[in-house]
Amino acid sequence: MTDRLEIRVEVNGTWREGRVEPRLTLADFLREDLDLTGTHVACENGFCGNCNVLVDGESVRACLMFAVQADGRLLLTVEGLAEPDGTLGRLQQAFHDNHGLQCGFCTPAMLVTAHEYLEANPGGGSDEEIRDAISGVLCRCTGYQHIVDSIRAAAEEAA
Amino acid sequence: MKAAPFAYRAPETLDEALSLLAAGDGARVLAGGQSLVPLLKARVVKPTLVVDVNRVPGLAAIEVDGDGALRIGALTRQQKLLDSDAAAAAQPLLREAGRYAGFLATRHRGTVGGSLAYAAPWAELTAAAVALDARLEIRSAGGERTVPARSFFQGPHETVLEPDELLTVVHVPAAAPRTGVGFHEVSARYRDFANVAAAATITLDEAGACTAAELVLLRVAATPHRVDVSHLVGAPFDGAAARAALVDALAGLDPAGDIEASGTYRRRVAVTLALRALQDANAKAGATR
Repeated sequence: MTDRLEIRVEVNGTWREGRVEPRLTLADFLREDLDLTGTHVACENGFCGNCNVLVDGESVRACLMFAVQADGRLLLTVEGLAEPDGTLGRLQQAFHDNHGLQCGFCTPAMLVTAHEYLEANPGGGSDEEIRDAISGVLCRCTGYQHIVDSIRAAAEEAA
Repeated sequence: MKAAPFAYRAPETLDEALSLLAAGDGARVLAGGQSLVPLLKARVVKPTLVVDVNRVPGLAAIEVDGDGALRIGALTRQQKLLDSDAAAAAQPLLREAGRYAGFLATRHRGTVGGSLAYAAPWAELTAAAVALDARLEIRSAGGERTVPARSFFQGPHETVLEPDELLTVVHVPAAAPRTGVGFHEVSARYRDFANVAAAATITLDEAGACTAAELVLLRVAATPHRVDVSHLVGAPFDGAAARAALVDALAGLDPAGDIEASGTYRRRVAVTLALRALQDANAKAGATR
């Protein structure tokens, strides 16, 4: 057992504190310590992208970053995409309306990744660009088409 | 799987980082974590100490000197290298190869130095470093040395780096005038691990004859494999002749096979990828004349 380290992170607008072993990944910290189970963990090795969260506005694999490395950083997880009253955010609603999910396992990472993409490309860009943006997140159900449709719909609604 | 326990230090200076590494006893350098963390989780490596160098200042800059040569800090994120117009202008192969290197979320964390130091056989930047004859600046508490990329890689995940050493800077010479580059790979999906890859550069003279050529292949040998393409020099590029020479040059190789591709497949597809990379390099060199 190694010493636990104090960390402080801003998650979805709220500062949270933790005492973590150095080997604890950010993904496990979010899920187990902060009870933010929206971030899903699948391969745990960086292949699948299902644990993508934003750190200081940039997507990262939360399974390949240790929680201690997030000390002092600003995090956005899927929970932060909802409206303050808990209803679905625009992007989430677009996934709902356009059948952008089947089993839903990859959905949190798809949403966070799409959010990052739309922040950089508010107009939505081309289908090819959308597909490239989400290519680092594996979905095993949808064939991706409805996910692309959902992201485009969210961009069009914002326009 | 979860990593075995380790002590963690995040030094704020290079000297402190180097002295932690010098203390020895199985320390590992953590930069972007995209190579190390999976190895920790698989418990392939079980360091007692992880030295996180992310807070060490001065290691993450891309600078271009007066001759157009690049000085890339080892802690430069792969995405930052990909985004750097200065780096792409000085040496276009870095962007051409770098765009295949992982996904946005891995490139945001993954570093240029980490990719080279962990020397995964599929790491595109290792091929670029060898093709471009990069020089790797290495520091330790005891001193510093510079190692050519061409003698840095020793095998899959193996380099000449000693446990107390830290790769700090990647020096890349400027591209000669009328130089074109090409990079092609096959992988399960665009930007995923390379199953086979080819990096090429070709320099032409004003009449269109080749004056220099480089070709480096990934995953046909234990390290990034430099193919002798000096026979291209002295004449305009001839695709048919180049293909025949490539078949001969690769005939003696015995690439490792795995679940992703057989060795025979790797050798055969390498010929095609190499030819495409050379053709692209030639076309782009011609376009700059």
